[in-house]
Amino acid sequence: MQRISLLFAVAIITGAVSSLAADYTARREAMVEATIEGRGITDAATLRAMKAVERHEFVTPGMEAQAYADRPLSIGYGQTISQPYIVAAMTEMLQVGEGDVVLEIGAGSGYQAAVLAEIVKHVYTIEIVPQLATLSTERMERLGYDNVTVKEGDGYFGWEDHAPFDGIIVTAAATHIPPPLVEQLKPGARMVIPVGPPMQVQHLMIVEKREDGTVSQRSVMPVRFVPLTGER
Amino acid sequence: MPTGRKSRQWPLLPAIFLNSATVIAYQIVWMRIWSIAQWHHFAYLVISIAMLGLGAGGTLLTLLRERVRGHERRWFGPALLLLALSLPGCYVGAQLIPFETFHLVTQGDQWGWLLLLYTWLAIPFFLSSVCTTLAFFLRPRQVGRVYFADLFGSGVGAALVVGMLFWFPAAWLPYLLSLPLWVLAGWFMWTDGHRLRWVFGATALGVALFGLHLGLTPVRVSDYKPLSYTMQFPDARITDRAQSPLSEINVVRSAQIRETPGQLGNYPFSEAGPLPEQAALFFDASSLSVVNRFDGDLTALRYLDYVTPALAYRVVDAPQVLVIGAGGGTDVLMALYHGAEQVTAVEVDPSVFPLIDRSLADFSGRLYERPDVRPVVAEGRGFLQADRGQYDVIHIALLDAFNAAAAGVYALSESYLYTREAVELYWRHLEPDGVLAITRWLKTPPRDAIRMFATLVEAAEAQGIDAPGEHIAFIRSWNSGTLLLSRSPWTPDQIDSIREFSQARGFDLAWLPGLEPDEVNRFMVLDEPVYFDAARAILGPHRAAFYDEYLFNVRPATDDRPHFFQFFKWDTLGVLRREMGWEWLPFVEWGYLALLGVIVQGAVASVLLILLPLITLTRRVETRGARRWVVAYFTALGLGFMFLEIAFIQKFMLFLAYPLYAVAVVLTAFLVFSGAGSYAADRWRGDRARLVAYAVTGIVVLTVIYVFGLPPLFAATAGWPDAARIVLSLCLIAPLAFFMGMPFPSGLQRVSDRYPAMVPWAWGINGFSSVMGASLATFTAIHLGFRVLVWTAAVIYMLAVPALFRLGKGGADAH
Repeated sequence: MQRISLLFAVAIITGAVSSLAADYTARREAMVEATIEGRGITDAATLRAMKAVERHEFVTPGMEAQAYADRPLSIGYGQTISQPYIVAAMTEMLQVGEGDVVLEIGAGSGYQAAVLAEIVKHVYTIEIVPQLATLSTERMERLGYDNVTVKEGDGYFGWEDHAPFDGIIVTAAATHIPPPLVEQLKPGARMVIPVGPPMQVQHLMIVEKREDGTVSQRSVMPVRFVPLTGER
Repeated sequence: MPTGRKSRQWPLLPAIFLNSATVIAYQIVWMRIWSIAQWHHFAYLVISIAMLGLGAGGTLLTLLRERVRGHERRWFGPALLLLALSLPGCYVGAQLIPFETFHLVTQGDQWGWLLLLYTWLAIPFFLSSVCTTLAFFLRPRQVGRVYFADLFGSGVGAALVVGMLFWFPAAWLPYLLSLPLWVLAGWFMWTDGHRLRWVFGATALGVALFGLHLGLTPVRVSDYKPLSYTMQFPDARITDRAQSPLSEINVVRSAQIRETPGQLGNYPFSEAGPLPEQAALFFDASSLSVVNRFDGDLTALRYLDYVTPALAYRVVDAPQVLVIGAGGGTDVLMALYHGAEQVTAVEVDPSVFPLIDRSLADFSGRLYERPDVRPVVAEGRGFLQADRGQYDVIHIALLDAFNAAAAGVYALSESYLYTREAVELYWRHLEPDGVLAITRWLKTPPRDAIRMFATLVEAAEAQGIDAPGEHIAFIRSWNSGTLLLSRSPWTPDQIDSIREFSQARGFDLAWLPGLEPDEVNRFMVLDEPVYFDAARAILGPHRAAFYDEYLFNVRPATDDRPHFFQFFKWDTLGVLRREMGWEWLPFVEWGYLALLGVIVQGAVASVLLILLPLITLTRRVETRGARRWVVAYFTALGLGFMFLEIAFIQKFMLFLAYPLYAVAVVLTAFLVFSGAGSYAADRWRGDRARLVAYAVTGIVVLTVIYVFGLPPLFAATAGWPDAARIVLSLCLIAPLAFFMGMPFPSGLQRVSDRYPAMVPWAWGINGFSSVMGASLATFTAIHLGFRVLVWTAAVIYMLAVPALFRLGKGGADAH
């Protein structure tokens, strides 16, 4: 009798868990359709990756319910997991593909690295906060992202052993773009940097290394905000 | 009833003096604590909390008048002791509340924490108000004297706390401030043989021991402040601390600190090597200024030629330089690197130079002891007003933090460094070929560099320059822009140098005489060449239309409206919302929106805690129509006093130049002389309405004289020594504050004499209008300017007089 009730309980719990997972999948797909495709992200690989990566696995326990809202969330240590739309926009802007190797500075929760890992050959990511580095290493192992390598350390000097890179994402904007990162970018490749205070990315910057080695930068608004005058 | 002769033996007035001194000091300490823990615009929240607590305490007690009657003395000691207990208690408790500003948008429970914090922090102010109100009950015939002790205490407290903040970290002061109150309360209770004295004595001892056991609780700093996330670096350590009433400075060492004044443009890293090691000075855990390791070898500072402010040194040779906002010395080193002969380094925070001398002397290469560097502790504007020097380069450093600037946290701050009049002052201190260099962080959407450009243009025009565009250059990287204003029109050689520098560094030109559209927007590509377009519009014939149409307020700031960082415009709110969505909007100008929030919150809380109880509990009281006049009179006084005080404090601060002393001197003078005014009013034996009429006449006349007379007087005496300017300020403030101190106690006395049941209303309305007045004054100053604020105050005061006369006519004395 006890065994039956135990089985019954397990069945209920399993059912609850699987319906929860199904719920997350549905919410993720809804989020991608509404706030990512809906706001102009068209790159198929990016959309596929955004649908595949389980964002609720990357948020602080207890905040899973908010994982599929289009907003940044705190992950402690004064860091945030970026707003899904920004992650998608940065991924699309990086213009990377299957055989590419990407460097990320500031692993944070590991979410951006996981999205990239769905698209490229390998992601190298550096995180300076030891606790976050440990957390994202464990997370990558648990979720089976074996094409992501996390290193604890100072991202300023890049990761020369694996340079040059087909793309670099810098998730924490300082007062200047670290010159070593520009040097470790392949000619023709791009670096994407979000600029703005924590919890509130306001624009993205694309640094492009031209074939002749010179650099151009471009500011891209994550929100539609072109006309600054008129239209009133 | 112990309110008679016996109570006069009691040192009641000294107790009120101490109570008020302590509470205003506590309020100022909380402004410091909020600045360290969160951001400084929370100062407005503190004012609102304090006013609310003070209003609510008075209201509650006057409503309990009958229950208190005859027991005032028995209540006073315990109330004082509870106040003493609440100062450290509320401080420690507040550090446990997990409030985080940045989470307000994403976590609903944060609003609950904010409300809890708001209420919790109001407790000491509430208790203080209970003590003051008990004193008024104990001395009903001496309203003016009690009010005098209250104001005099506030004045002295404000001055004393400024001194204390030099010596002690803000976190210690809630404990220290409570000590005299403990002693006094204990004395009151023991001399009266209060039956609770042992209980309270034991509590006092317990709290003291508990405090010692815990140690002094540090301020809980937001995770989102730069100091907090720098401290996440594995090797980060705080090596020294200093404090002043302006800020708390932490010296942080970490190999990961690499700060530059804006983007490094094409810095040849492989060849030139990494930046020199840096130590960071964090001001209030936020703004950051770095000290570079320097051994006298200037070539190690090569990176300082790869930032936008270096442009200034491309157009002048071997200059005499004035750096405003010297901080850790990066801009001083930049000047030296580029061959400056002499650098005057002005720094407003008095603890910066001693701190560097003490803990970074060798690290900094004793920069501020070099013969070619002259360190000066002063506010930049004030320094120049008194200075007779002429300079080849006047360099206004990037004073604010990169992130803080973008988030709009300075929206409520006046900044007299960036007004049109300030630029005119810089202009007058330039050598004939000298340049003013101002570097600003660039915001998205663009606004503050555009406003700076407009300010330079209009200041040059005010100096008689017909073609200001010939005197200005503006270059930008992705995050910073440097604007130069030359006293002489640019020469072709200078124009070539500017072009060459920008090209080599990968910086974009946003304005230069003869600049072609295809030369802009090449390296840091924007969707539209917004800065160049704005520059052309400002220099063109349709400037006013451009100002009107731009999404943000980019008109130059002036001394009358010095809120340089306030860009929000109501009439473009719809466009902003459509373009950015509600979710982003708060982040664009959240300092301004925070003020709005405080006004709304203050209004709601005041209605709930002050007005509603009054309305429900005094409904049946027979007032013979006096209520509306009481409301009108005390509303007018609350608003008028706050408006004038805030406006004139600003004006005198600009004149006195050293904000620390200015705040202390001006606030103290205002409160002390107001106290003297109420003391004099207390001794007046004639008709009180007539006295108020005289006082208001005095206020209005002085206001008119000051509005027109102060600017030329200040200009003429700017070069006087500090002491002389302080004395002059005191002489100017004294009569105004003296008159301003009269109407409140006179009105209160009249209400107390004729309609005693209306006394709670007088208090409540005064509390309510003071809460609103403090915020509304800032709001009015931002939108309409200080001059309008002053005129409004004068009109409000004039409206108060007939209200009091009506009160006089209301009937015979009610008792």
